[in-house]
Amino acid sequence: MSMRIVPASQAPTTFSHAASSSAPSAPGIHDTLRHGVGISPFDAASNKPVSAHPLEARLKNWEATQEAVRMESLKRTFGIAEPIRRGMELKIVREGEWRPMALGGGLPSVHEDILRGREDTITWEDVFTGEESRALPGIHDEMEKKLKIN
Amino acid sequence: MPGFDFSNYNRNAALHARGVPLPKATSTGTTIVGCIFDGGVVIAADTRATSGPIVADKNCEKLHYISPQIWCAGAGTAADTEFTTALISSQLELHSLSTGRKPRVVTCMTLLKQHLFRYQGHIGAYLVVAGCDPTGTHLFTVHAHGSTDKLPYVTMGSGSLAAMSVFETQWKADLSRDEAVKLCSDAILSGIWNDLGSGSNVDVAVITKEKTTLLRNYIKPNEKSAKLQSYRFEKGTTAVLNEKVINKSDLKRYVTVHDLPVEGEKMDVDT
Repeated sequence: MSMRIVPASQAPTTFSHAASSSAPSAPGIHDTLRHGVGISPFDAASNKPVSAHPLEARLKNWEATQEAVRMESLKRTFGIAEPIRRGMELKIVREGEWRPMALGGGLPSVHEDILRGREDTITWEDVFTGEESRALPGIHDEMEKKLKIN
Repeated sequence: MPGFDFSNYNRNAALHARGVPLPKATSTGTTIVGCIFDGGVVIAADTRATSGPIVADKNCEKLHYISPQIWCAGAGTAADTEFTTALISSQLELHSLSTGRKPRVVTCMTLLKQHLFRYQGHIGAYLVVAGCDPTGTHLFTVHAHGSTDKLPYVTMGSGSLAAMSVFETQWKADLSRDEAVKLCSDAILSGIWNDLGSGSNVDVAVITKEKTTLLRNYIKPNEKSAKLQSYRFEKGTTAVLNEKVINKSDLKRYVTVHDLPVEGEKMDVDT
């Protein structure tokens, strides 16, 4: 594990928009009828960059990098038990707070914010979620994907 | 993607590869300065907002509120300076509520530089941060890429060279309040006259331990002169061809008319 505080510049050079939004009968082609125009909400949730812009990859990986260096320094100070305990707490909270995307899932819950130490900050991402222009998936689509039914 | 939207980037890159020219970069122009004196700090700014070669606003406000004792002067993209200072102002207020202490100028500067560094200069906010807090009087500059300076007198924006020449020739240690205000407004005036991107009036903010005084339009060297002649048309210049008067009492035969009492505004209105 490294102590890197800023994401490495890893702007992707190739893209496939249709990786997860293609029809089962035609893999590789974006299914506009099912997933609408533009990036599908499943792709947006999976934190993959949608462009080759160097800033986007940096912003997407920012929080993860900060979290990694925090956990690494905790590990070096207190031993491996500390980051593991925090990771378990986060996992418990996240699974208890799961909401379908149709009801506006995706934003971190209050409990998660407290565990991450972010409960006293509001940033642009908390207000401009980018969900206004996105197509909403049905609850059935989402559960099928989550439980790997199709 | 919350926050910034990159969804058109690949399309634009593909169009550029096919020969569509990229949009031109806009050059921005401003003069902002700051200067520490005995017992406080002064920041000042010009009031011209440009969009390319056009003056968009002749009397805009470039001094932004962060907290009662911390103010910010902004150069660069107007929307970015406005939004960044508003965001940091809110974060600083939340932080001071959470810790129960008065906000510190260094905290504000650190929040600003961390935020701007994260966006790698794509947020074009060049700021002068000044304020008084329990640890003393502070003056910083923050560049769009996240670098900061701490100096007794600072200038920023396209007029910074003209303004800095005034500071370099006239600044001395242990200025009084009035001398500092005079020095800062002279520096801004030098930017107004010698830099095409700066103009109009001088705004000054004086921050001391006790209070902040915002001197909006402290100097107005570019007053619009009166027109030599009046071009207004006399009443009755256009002939009335025909006239028809409808009385309210006649109207009541066809519709119901209620006279509503005049009330004040009941909703909260943002300014």
